[in-house]
Amino acid sequence: MVLKIHGVPKFAYTQIVLVVLKETNAPYELITVDWINKEHKTPAYLEKHPFGQYPYMDDDGFILHETSAIVKYIATKYRASGTALAPDPSNLKATVLFDQAWSVQASDFSPYAGGIVMERLGKPFHGSQPDEQAVQQHITNLENKLNGYEAILGKQSYLAGDNLTAADLAHLPLGTLIGELDVKSLEDPTRRPNVARWWNDISNRPAWKEVLSISDA
Amino acid sequence: MVFKLFGNARSRPTLRVAHILKEMQVPFEFVAIDVQGNEHKTAEYLKKQPFGQIPYIDDDGFVLFETRAICKYIATKWRGQGPALFPDPSDLKATALFDQALSIEYSNFDNAAVNIAVEKVYKPKYLNKPTDEALVAEQVSKLEAKLEGYEAILSKQKYLAGEYVTLADLYHITFGFYIVEEGGLMLFTDEAKYPNMARWWKDITSRPAWLAVKGGL
Repeated sequence: MVLKIHGVPKFAYTQIVLVVLKETNAPYELITVDWINKEHKTPAYLEKHPFGQYPYMDDDGFILHETSAIVKYIATKYRASGTALAPDPSNLKATVLFDQAWSVQASDFSPYAGGIVMERLGKPFHGSQPDEQAVQQHITNLENKLNGYEAILGKQSYLAGDNLTAADLAHLPLGTLIGELDVKSLEDPTRRPNVARWWNDISNRPAWKEVLSISDA
Repeated sequence: MVFKLFGNARSRPTLRVAHILKEMQVPFEFVAIDVQGNEHKTAEYLKKQPFGQIPYIDDDGFVLFETRAICKYIATKWRGQGPALFPDPSDLKATALFDQALSIEYSNFDNAAVNIAVEKVYKPKYLNKPTDEALVAEQVSKLEAKLEGYEAILSKQKYLAGEYVTLADLYHITFGFYIVEEGGLMLFTDEAKYPNMARWWKDITSRPAWLAVKGGL
């Protein structure tokens, strides 16, 4: 039975899983969660995902939730069939540098990029006004952290080393959204040329373009 | 050259790393960073940790930051001489369930736990600033919404990744302990409300390696 992803194709964490599936050429089926009608809070759904979130994975009966776990599972299982997006687990240093890079994304990028998206997209969707002061604070914090990215990416091509990993791709959904919301911090080559080079590289990958076309459908 | 831990003697993240060093019986040298004097923001420090945060480690020239990446490195490198704190990397499914548990801690516990700890303990004790009780209430509410999920998982298995303790369980301790012991909030130690979670909490916080570092370095 083919690997199933239960998620919402236009939402960030489902998109991270989708881009990894596409890069690794893993066969899959996407099942859309009826989030508007709170399917993810029903007892049946909570049996699969105890925190009532999406996405979750069902690989022939093996249930897994948490995007980072799903992504690593897919990248490891399908390592040979497409782009190698996680290091060989027997390579200790490469593995912890990947962990470090994933952690950098989670602590130093996503909270701020996510905050901007929440204010400028999430709030209007729920009928309230964005707090532009909060947005400015998130932008300031994000740009502060991007100075760290600039230093790292000045020494190596990608966040975990010289090879692309899922840790880089994990930035794509929120990074793309903030660009659409007029925050150009990732794209601006005059202020952080290494970040801009890296962003240009990962955001133009065909697999990501395919994910965006699914999400728009 | 001995393993070096650069941080602050009472910092929660520094103690997370020290705990795992003790679990794996790794001799180390603790180097105190002058946080009050902003040593972690100097150009020299930023060469080691580009985000200007503590702690970082130097294992005979191999520099690593992000406490969870550091702890995984320690638990892997010294795997033979302490408890096995994560599954065999060649076991894809067990590893995925471990990654799932790691993400649960990071996504569903850490943010609220850190915010509560900062307000209830760090601000009054170290910064001589008043606690924002409204913020505490909001963050406690957020955390409590997740405890049902923890209780559901821990009612079916002994620890978050399965029947054996892993790093994912232990990562909760450093901030969780602070909230309960110094912040005076029962939360996940409430045996009546969350019996399985309370059982789990008591188990992990009575480990000798934690008791050895809980008072600071």
